Amino acid sequence: MIAVKNLHKSFKVADKTVTAVDDVSFIAPSSAITGLLGPNGAGKTTSIRMIGSLVEIGGGSVTIDDIDVAKNPDAAREKCGILTDARGLYTRLTARENIRYYAELRGIESVKSEATIARFVEWLDMKDIMDRRSEGFSQGERMKVAIIRALVHEPSTVILDEPTNGLDVMTTRALRSLIQRLKAEGRTVMFSSHIMQEVAALCDSIIIIAKGRITAEGTTDALLQMSGKDNLEDAFVALAGIDDEQHNMKAA
Amino acid sequence: MAISKFKTIITVAKKELTDHMRDKRTTLLVLLLSIAMGPAILMGLGYFMSSIEQKFEKKEVFVQGETNSPALVNFMQRQDMTIKQPKPDFRALIKEGKHDAVLVIPENFSQKLVEGDAKVELVYDDTRQDTGNAAISVLRGVMRGFNQEVAAQRLTARGVSSAILRPVEVENTNLGTAAQRAAALLFIIPWITLIGCVTGCTSMAVDLGAGERERGSLEPLLMTPIAREALVLGKALAVSLYAFGIAILTLLGFALTLKFGNLPNIGGVISLSLQQYVVFFAMLATFAPAMALVQILLSTYGRTFKEGQTYAAYAIQVIALLPVVALLGQFKDATWQLFVPVLAQLMVITRILRGESVEVMHYLIPAAINITIFVVCVVIIGRLLKQEKIIFGRA
Repeated sequence: MIAVKNLHKSFKVADKTVTAVDDVSFIAPSSAITGLLGPNGAGKTTSIRMIGSLVEIGGGSVTIDDIDVAKNPDAAREKCGILTDARGLYTRLTARENIRYYAELRGIESVKSEATIARFVEWLDMKDIMDRRSEGFSQGERMKVAIIRALVHEPSTVILDEPTNGLDVMTTRALRSLIQRLKAEGRTVMFSSHIMQEVAALCDSIIIIAKGRITAEGTTDALLQMSGKDNLEDAFVALAGIDDEQHNMKAA
Repeated sequence: MAISKFKTIITVAKKELTDHMRDKRTTLLVLLLSIAMGPAILMGLGYFMSSIEQKFEKKEVFVQGETNSPALVNFMQRQDMTIKQPKPDFRALIKEGKHDAVLVIPENFSQKLVEGDAKVELVYDDTRQDTGNAAISVLRGVMRGFNQEVAAQRLTARGVSSAILRPVEVENTNLGTAAQRAAALLFIIPWITLIGCVTGCTSMAVDLGAGERERGSLEPLLMTPIAREALVLGKALAVSLYAFGIAILTLLGFALTLKFGNLPNIGGVISLSLQQYVVFFAMLATFAPAMALVQILLSTYGRTFKEGQTYAAYAIQVIALLPVVALLGQFKDATWQLFVPVLAQLMVITRILRGESVEVMHYLIPAAINITIFVVCVVIIGRLLKQEKIIFGRA
């Protein structure tokens, strides 16, 4: 479970202070998929980076399975598998070597990591590419390797930042199926996306974030009802709008 | 689950070496150039030295009209000189730099010599540095000697001591041994070797710094619970092993050339014992890793591999230029040089090559300085990897 309380972050850009995340609080429970929805620059990636303790928490707190990320970042990193938009692979290593490197860095015994790798490879149907050098991999192939690399330590919490960006239909389907399987295994799954259908189809609850603040949260139905719209895209546009009336609207 | 830092260091080093060695073209080029450096420098140096020595030692002089002055010819022969006939068009050839200086003795020389009005012509072109400089000084020396001898004979004939010609007697006592005189050029060996050791590590160092971020692999790496210092040390270990490899190959190139390379000029000047090779290697073995770490540090500031490479290139330029400063400044082996990387290695390795004594401080001080640079770089890079602007690239 991820518990985020009054999260805050601001950056200094050319003598100006820009607030990227402003008083964000939410809970992403275990065995559930929580979607993070928001326009570009809304603060999704910064929030994810703070949860992954890659960016210092500016204010508030984040706990992962009751571990305080600020106080014990390494323990939190062991619980977390995060895929951000930096998905670079070592192109002279094979897909398998790229993943094994992370398993070794995380101190996982090879017997255990090989079993984990084999399971994910099966799920994502990527046997053919595992022993090929990753140079020249398609975007989808790179994504699959990056995901297994992030999950090789069997984390209880999985956070994926726009994982389906730029992927073809088949890869997207494989990825959606993976997300559902991770949930079925009892993990906390959180992912951000721009694709409304995907969010609607997968998420148990959705958090809409705009200009660094949460503007709405709830199930798909709750958000539709709240916005008075009949599809999630229109609901998102309405709820992510920053006019004052909707600013602090939250579903019950 | 606490991850042992030692294990992390080994894992990172192993991965980095595997990764880099698979770049076969770069690795092969670096390794081949390293081993080829010794033979190339030694052969070049040998050729250069022998061409100078030959001109001085053979004492070959070109004289036109040798029959015009048996006395002068006799003087030259007594100096063990070989008199050679110049080519007919020697004036044009000298201008083109294809002929050594020529002494022209006119027809009536002997008679004029008696009359006290003798002249010879020395034909040369001093704008040509490539040929003839040695020949000019030999011919000038001959004429100086001949003049002195004739003058001394004339004074003696008049009952005056020839010492009157030399109010101050200069006694030449050259403390430099023959080897040292030839060794004046030996600084080229450490100079080129040091540059080779540094440039050989550049591609790997920049890949470990700026390359990691440009590739987008730094962020996921830093989301693992490994210690930043262990990560940096792992990279440092990898690049150090690579640098050791370059240093060993470079030395091997030198050793094999000296042993089997049939270079009589060099063989007489440089003859290294195993112990001297060890000191030579020790100088490179701390220098190369320290400079590799400086390159990783500089490249960490680069947003892209290209930018990192540019920063590293400037560092190499400084390293390459320092010896020139030392040369122009005509630094004698001074203790302060031991505290300046590059100058220290240059000084100590040149001493080894010259066959001069090397004291303990000669390798302990540079080693301590290099280890300090190494450690400081590891600490700074470790800290930089905690800074958001470094991890994500400066905006």
